[in-house]
This record gives sequence, structure tokens and C-alpha cells, in this order.
Amino acid sequence: MNPSSPDHHLCSDHCGENPTVWDLPHVPLGLKREWLDLETRRHFLGQGVKALGWAGLATLLGRSAPKLLANAPILGAPTMLPHYAPKAKRAIYLFMAGSPSQIETWDDKPALADLFDKDLPESVRGGQTLTGMTASQTRFPIAPSVYKFARQGKAGRFVSELFPYTAKVSDELCVIKSLYTDAINHEPAILQLTTGNMFPGKPSIGSWLSYGLGAMNAELPTFVVMTSKMPHRTNVQALSNRLWSSGFLSPEHAAVALRSGSDPVLYLNNPKGVSSDVRRAMIDGVNDLNRQLFERVGDPEINARISQYEMAFRMQTSVPELTDFSKEPQSTWDLYGPKAKEPGTFAYNCLMARRLAERGVRFTQIFLRSWDQHSRLPTNIKLMAEDSDQPTYALITDLKRRGLLDDTVVIWGGEFGRTVYSQGTLTADNYGRDHHPRCFSMWMAGGGVKPGISFGETDEFSYNIVKNPMHIRDLHATILHLFGLDHNKLSFKFQGLDQKLTGVLPSKVINDLLA
Amino acid sequence: MTSWLNASFSGLSRAAAGRQAVAVIVSVARRHGDRRRPYALFALLAAGALAVSARGEDTFFAQRVAPIFEQKCVACHGEKKQKGKLRLDSFAQLMRGGEGGGVVKAGAPKASELFIRVTMDPEDEDFMPADSKPPLTPDEVKVLELWIAAGASETTSLAAIKGAPALAARKAPVAALAPDWHPRAAQIAQFEKSTGLRLVPRSAVPTDGLVLRTASAPTRCDDAALAQLAPLADLVVEAELARTKITDVGLVSLATFSNLCALDLTRTAVTSGGLGTLVPLQKLESINLTSTEVDDTGVARLKQLPALRKTWVFGTRVSTVAEDPAAAK
Repeated sequence: MNPSSPDHHLCSDHCGENPTVWDLPHVPLGLKREWLDLETRRHFLGQGVKALGWAGLATLLGRSAPKLLANAPILGAPTMLPHYAPKAKRAIYLFMAGSPSQIETWDDKPALADLFDKDLPESVRGGQTLTGMTASQTRFPIAPSVYKFARQGKAGRFVSELFPYTAKVSDELCVIKSLYTDAINHEPAILQLTTGNMFPGKPSIGSWLSYGLGAMNAELPTFVVMTSKMPHRTNVQALSNRLWSSGFLSPEHAAVALRSGSDPVLYLNNPKGVSSDVRRAMIDGVNDLNRQLFERVGDPEINARISQYEMAFRMQTSVPELTDFSKEPQSTWDLYGPKAKEPGTFAYNCLMARRLAERGVRFTQIFLRSWDQHSRLPTNIKLMAEDSDQPTYALITDLKRRGLLDDTVVIWGGEFGRTVYSQGTLTADNYGRDHHPRCFSMWMAGGGVKPGISFGETDEFSYNIVKNPMHIRDLHATILHLFGLDHNKLSFKFQGLDQKLTGVLPSKVINDLLA
Repeated sequence: MTSWLNASFSGLSRAAAGRQAVAVIVSVARRHGDRRRPYALFALLAAGALAVSARGEDTFFAQRVAPIFEQKCVACHGEKKQKGKLRLDSFAQLMRGGEGGGVVKAGAPKASELFIRVTMDPEDEDFMPADSKPPLTPDEVKVLELWIAAGASETTSLAAIKGAPALAARKAPVAALAPDWHPRAAQIAQFEKSTGLRLVPRSAVPTDGLVLRTASAPTRCDDAALAQLAPLADLVVEAELARTKITDVGLVSLATFSNLCALDLTRTAVTSGGLGTLVPLQKLESINLTSTEVDDTGVARLKQLPALRKTWVFGTRVSTVAEDPAAAK
């Protein structure tokens, strides 16, 4: 191409990438065209910045970029096929932000009762750097759980008295007691759980799934996030959309956050006096302008914008149907409890998650905050458990009875663990616990996870892992595996790296967790 | 002859060239009888298909050691890349070593860099394979150790080195769930276009079958659409028909889905009477009848399905469910 011609594009030097078939000499034009036809829009998007060069190529061919788009497959088409047949089609991630203590919930340590107010041996901490909140404490007195555990279900798992409802579905759960993370503070730890990296800017798990597998239901977002009203507010951390962003992936893979008010998606309804036809004509007009811009500059983000407009239009129909709970039978309210009628509660969100699962939404993430009990832990953890226990049980039970649990994986947990020693004054019925990245507990259920088992062990203080340590990366690899994806193959080229959810450090699928 | 081969193969990949060379040689040998075979062999070697030479021989190196390198090492230490200037794609290259010198010390595995690197702490940055690529299995490590200890020779026979772990039995190929869908890709696309429904491959394995997916527009899936699917029926392994307009008429079409394993009929108008038509589905493992009008007689009819393991009947008229207490609630 002549650099001075108007067709010349600044980025037609392949943006530093390798030449394509198009650049090869002596290939007949017919073959080149065939190659071009075989290229699909997903390839186009998958190429990222290379798409810029494409716009120039399309012009060269006398075919406009929008025509290329017109021949492209349906929006939301997957990037790839699962590497193996998936067990899970969807996931519902109950994110207990702030981090519930593992010692009161899933890592039962009855022997600690005898060590009440004894000092945690120095050797156990092993010179660990503590947070500024407890580093200056002169003593590290052991605080046993005030809540007792009892055997539940056929598997006879010990379940905390904080969870009388969840105890009833104990046999469905696969409890992991040996997770560990790298971060000791909330924001980086939550980011690491949601995106695989402590630094913002990486795609979340849901975005990776959307990118890899595409949508099951094109009328609804593939990835939905909900935040929940809290039964009480202590040490509440802010949640931001960097936790559910698509990072360097195309923005259409970011989550749609459903609001907790009566209007779950703002500005979705047409303003007064605007009919659906007028709205359609407006969107067509905007899309046309966007396509013209795309033809000029070839920025793939413009395509994402076009697809977002289309998605919003489709959601004008699909979201009212989704959020209309009026046809739910009485058995639903009996199961989830009365709070499920109040938009924004954890119970309401759990019911919504079931409705999203029914409609084919791949990844639903519900955040429940205020588990960060540095002080008054016995009182506050009970408030949190009372708010979330019945809905959690209800969700599992409801999915199971409707035949959805087989291919829906439910994940429950916070971003790190909490210390066995008390933060602040320890009394018989009051104490606090500081952040603890060295071990924490989570559970998974359904979707190809082995039910009724426990995995991993911590030492007698629930401080260090003694058996089967499992890094967050292993959790991510295992979740992707349930969806039929190989974590080493699900990648996206960005900044010169084949970026992956699990990053570059060692990570593995934990086969012991698979049914 | 060498130059003739090389000239004719220029532009072809080496592997392809190798295959062609074998074909040519076989035909030459057949035409001219055994008398010409020495020449033919010479041509084979000269054509660059050297890899063949060590194969097929009963040496421990060829049978046990080289395959490990090929599988776990040569991606970075081979013809294309030579990280650390080390190649492991032939015995000669291995013995040449890398930029740090020799990597194998015959008779002394623990003094051999090759062995040290694959057995050190995996967290160590010198550990091989690097970048969390799949490490050697304990059996593979044992094979390397035995081979180096026995002198790290190319010619030691397979039988001469005792105690090597048995080769893992090749994984039995997973049974095909359905015929390969690729030959019918055009028909699949045509069906998707005309009905607005989707036929999604379950995985990259072409014989894992297709999912009939209707979630985007369940109301567009009716009995007529299912009838249209008849030429592709044997490809469908899962049918997601929840909230569609399927009736008992559609079940007659479904009965021809010979490879169907999972069927979701949640909130459809199917009845107990219709379920009887599903009896030909020999592979059906699960059926979801949630929120349908099905009753006990319908479930009784399903008892004739030999592979059926899971039935969901929440929100139906079914009185009790023996298989799943949670569903009865």
C-alpha cells in the first residue's frame, strides 16, 4: 500500500505481530480470499490490536469492515470449544467478602478449647509478618471457637452450629480446608480470588468463561454480579467493578452488575413517550455511526460497544421477565425465607441466581460483605450466618430438586482466613481475629465436584497447612476444568504474554475434588 | 539420488518428506527386488528421516528414554528452540550437552545436570520442565535414573536394564458418544439459521456429540423444529428443551435421537402419555421433568429405559420419588 494513499493505515505494519497469510508472496489471490473468508469475527476479536491492520486489509479487498461483520457469526459466539466435555455449564459464586473465620465455620479444631488464652507458640508463626493491626500486640492468645460443631448428614461431617440450614445439605458439599493466598489485605486478596492477580486490570473468572465458552443465552449477559444488603455493617470494604471487569478481554465479557434496588438495571426501560420502535431506530442509527467509525479506525472496542447496545435492547425484554418473581410458587418462599421478597438481600440474590441459572447465565457472582470480624467476632459472625445460612441451603436444595445442581457448581468462601489468636482482648465470649493468608476454607458443590468430602488439613492451630495445600491458582484451574477448559490453554495474547487466569506460576487441577 | 530427493522435496515439510521418501523407497524396492534395497536405505537416510533409524530397535534409549524427551523436553530443547543451547531430540545432541557443558554423566545420575534439573524442588527456578509445563512423572524420573546409572548408552538393549517401571497402558480411547459432526457442518449451520436454535459441540472432541441449545429463544423451539432436526438426530447427545413449546408430538421426533444421553423437558407441555414414546432411547441417562404435568404413570413408563439413572420430577404430579428424596420436597 502506498503510505500516502488514504487507504494507508498507521497500524498496517501488523502492530509488531507476525505477518499473516496475506503478506506471503506468490499466493494466488483466490486462496488469500478463501483464507480471509474462513476468518471469523471471533478470530478478529481474538487478534486484539491486530484487528487494526485488518481494517486496512478489508479496504484493500474492496470489502468494507461492516460487511465482514455482517457475515460474522452470532454475537457471543465462543472463542473455542471446551477442551473436553464439561461437567459444569454454570457457576454461582457466593463471595463472602471480608473473610469469615475458618475456625468458626469449616475448620473444626475442638482441641483448641484446652488452649484458651495460652500463647500461640512462636514456632507456629515462624517469623511471619503480621498486619499493622496486630503486629504491636504483646501477646497472641489462642481464641477457641465459641461455636460448637456436630456431625451432620450421611458423611458425618462436622458442621458449625452457625449453619443449621447448610448442615442439612452437608452431604452435597466438598469442603476445602487447605486453601492459601498471597495477599494479607482485602483488596489485593479479593482481586486475586476474582481475577487471579493482586493487581487490577486482569479479567475475572466469569469474563474468562464468557471469552472462552460464549453465551448460552444471548438475551442475557453471560456474567452477572450482585451485591447484597448486609445484616449489619462493620469494617465493610468497598467493592468496585475491577472485581468483575473483563480486563484486557473485549468489554462485552465484563459482568453486568444487577443493582439491589427495585430497578436492577438503570435506564433499561424506555423513557415516557419513547416506544420500542423509536428505541430500535435510535439504536440502529447509533450502530450505523459506530460502524462508520469502525470502518475508519478499526478499533475492536467499537464492536464491543455495538454489541452492548444490542444486548441492552434485548435485555429490555429479558430482564423484566427475569426479575418478575410473581409466578414463583409458595414452596420457593418457604425454602428461601421471607427475606427473599426484599430486593437486594442475600436471600433475594440467591433466588435470582437460581433464576439466572435456569435461563442459561454462565457465571453469577453474589457478594455478601461485612465478614471482617477484627473484634466482636462471636456476635457479628452470628448475624452474618443468620442472614446467609438459609438462602445458601435453599439455593443448593432448589438447584438440586430442579435438576440444575448436576451441571451448576456453587462456590462459597472469602478471600483469606483469620488468625487463631485473638486480635484485641480475649474473654470467654468475646474476641476478634486478624487476617490470615496461610490457610482458609471454602466449599464447592455440584457441577462435577465430588460431594461429601473434605480436602486438605491444617495444623492443630488452623495456622499452617499440613496436608494438600491448594493455592488460589489451583482453585481457578479446577473451576476451569469443571467447565471443560484447560487452564494452560485458555489464554489471550496481551503485552507480549499468553495471559492466563492462573498466570505463569505453577498451578494444577486438584483431581481429588472431581466426582 | 540424494540431490534428486532433496530437490523434489523442497518446499514440503520434513515430516511429509520423510513419509514420501518411505513411499518412494517401497515402490523402488518392489519394482527392482531386494537387489536395490541397499540403495533405497541409503536414500532413506539421506532424505533426512534420521529419526527412523533409532526407532524400532530394541534399545532402552529408543524405547524408554527418547519418548520422555520427545514428550516433555523437545518443545524447548529440539529442532525449533534450543534453550540453553541444549537439544534432546537425538542421542548425539543429548551427549553434546548445552551451554553449561555435558548434561549426562554416565553411571552417576545424581551428578548429571539432566537428572538434577528434573528432580530438584519444583519451585526452584532451575527446575525443568520450566514455566509450569508438565513435570516428569515419578516413573519417568526412574527410567532416566536407571538409564544413566547403567551407563547412559544409546545401544544398551531394552532387556539389559532391569527394574524399569512398566509402561502405562495406553488409555483406552473414550467411546464415541455420537458420530463426528464435521461432515455435516453445513447441515448444522442450515438448521441453526432456519430455526434460530443452536447445535453446540460439547467439546473439541468431534465424537462428543452436540447440545441442542434453546436458551436464547425457547419459544422458537416447537415440535416442527424438532422434526426438522431428524437428519441430524444421531448427533445430539444433550437436548436442552426447558421452557420450549415441545409437546408429546415432539417426543415422537425425540425418540429417534439414538445417542441422546440427557433430556431437559422442564416446564414443557409434555404428559405422561407422551413419555412412553421415549422408550427407544437406549442411551438416555437423565431426564428432567420439573414443572410438567407428568404423574406416576409417566414415571412408570420411563422404567423401561435401560440407561436411565436420574429423573427429576419437582413440581409435577408424581407422588413419591424413590431415587432422590430432595426432589420430592
